[in-house]
Amino acid sequence: MLIKLFKDFLKFGCFTFGGGWSIVAQMKMLYVDQEKSLKNEELLDLTSIGRSLPGTMIGNIAMFYGHRVAGFWGGVACVFGMITVPMIILILITSFYTAFQNNLWVAAAMKGVRASVAPIILGALLGILKGAFKVTPCIAVAAAMFALYFFLRVSCVWLVIIGAVLGLLISEYYERVKGFDVTA
Amino acid sequence: MLLLELFWSFVKIGFTSFGGLSMIPLISSEMISHGWMTASEVSDIVAIAEMTPGPLGLNCATYAGMRAAGLLGAFVANMGALAPTFTLCAVAAVFFEHFKNNKRLGQIMIGVRPACVGMVAGIIIDLMLANYTDGNLKIHWPSLALGGIDLILLLKFRISIPKVILFSALAGIILFGFLGL
Repeated sequence: MLIKLFKDFLKFGCFTFGGGWSIVAQMKMLYVDQEKSLKNEELLDLTSIGRSLPGTMIGNIAMFYGHRVAGFWGGVACVFGMITVPMIILILITSFYTAFQNNLWVAAAMKGVRASVAPIILGALLGILKGAFKVTPCIAVAAAMFALYFFLRVSCVWLVIIGAVLGLLISEYYERVKGFDVTA
Repeated sequence: MLLLELFWSFVKIGFTSFGGLSMIPLISSEMISHGWMTASEVSDIVAIAEMTPGPLGLNCATYAGMRAAGLLGAFVANMGALAPTFTLCAVAAVFFEHFKNNKRLGQIMIGVRPACVGMVAGIIIDLMLANYTDGNLKIHWPSLALGGIDLILLLKFRISIPKVILFSALAGIILFGFLGL
């Protein structure tokens, strides 16, 4: 069983480009449609918890699924299966890149690539904007955290912790004063 | 103890990040404050991580670990970034039914999501300052123009991220290699 899990996730790991959703799609194809060992709703549950816990979403989903099927070591088998191929590929690329970064053409190509990074992150940011501002005070949270990050260079670890505390306070306020559940 | 520092840095990054994109500001500030990377190298990881399979956060961990301390560094950084998965997530898996509709978790995310938006907006400006200037805050127009074209390709024409990166690499070879801009 552990070997099957490791192999399944080794395959999933090869095809997870950009973001975690591709692994969810692959798990649906194999476990829900083919093997019928998992229900669609169960996969959705795994995904939503995996996403709301800290850490990488795919790692969390792999851990959950493996744990469900074969306990803690099942989860470990899934996680290690998933990270093996991407890790090897990236180790090769990094060594290659370090060796060639002073080459004129590689440097020119990387300079072009760097120009694309801010637009890529901006595009992704626009994608998550809608879900981030459930109630008006959330906008103030975003503005305050931006200022703390950009001008005062407060550590991101603190910003996330402050955000979590503010999230609890805002939710409680809305629930007690306005009788409105923001998480619904 | 470089390896221990690397591990601890990624443990912090892992526990305070929620999904790919939100890891970038965390990784950037940890890497730059330890002197393991420069702002333009942070851009390199984001681009390389987006081009290769695997979750962004772990790819960043591999790259950063390799640059800072070689193969062992890559492994240690990955284990650090996965620390929440092996601890918190393993516990949550045991009490799965409890966590399934946990309200506190949802309430926390009400504040964490906008906080991530604020930090990510900050890192975008940081990366723009690093990638579109010649140092001394002098704007490097060809890079900025290429960035503008990339943004249009992404948002207007919905070209996929790996293709946009490939396009930018080719444009870079022409603009900065052949034309020497």
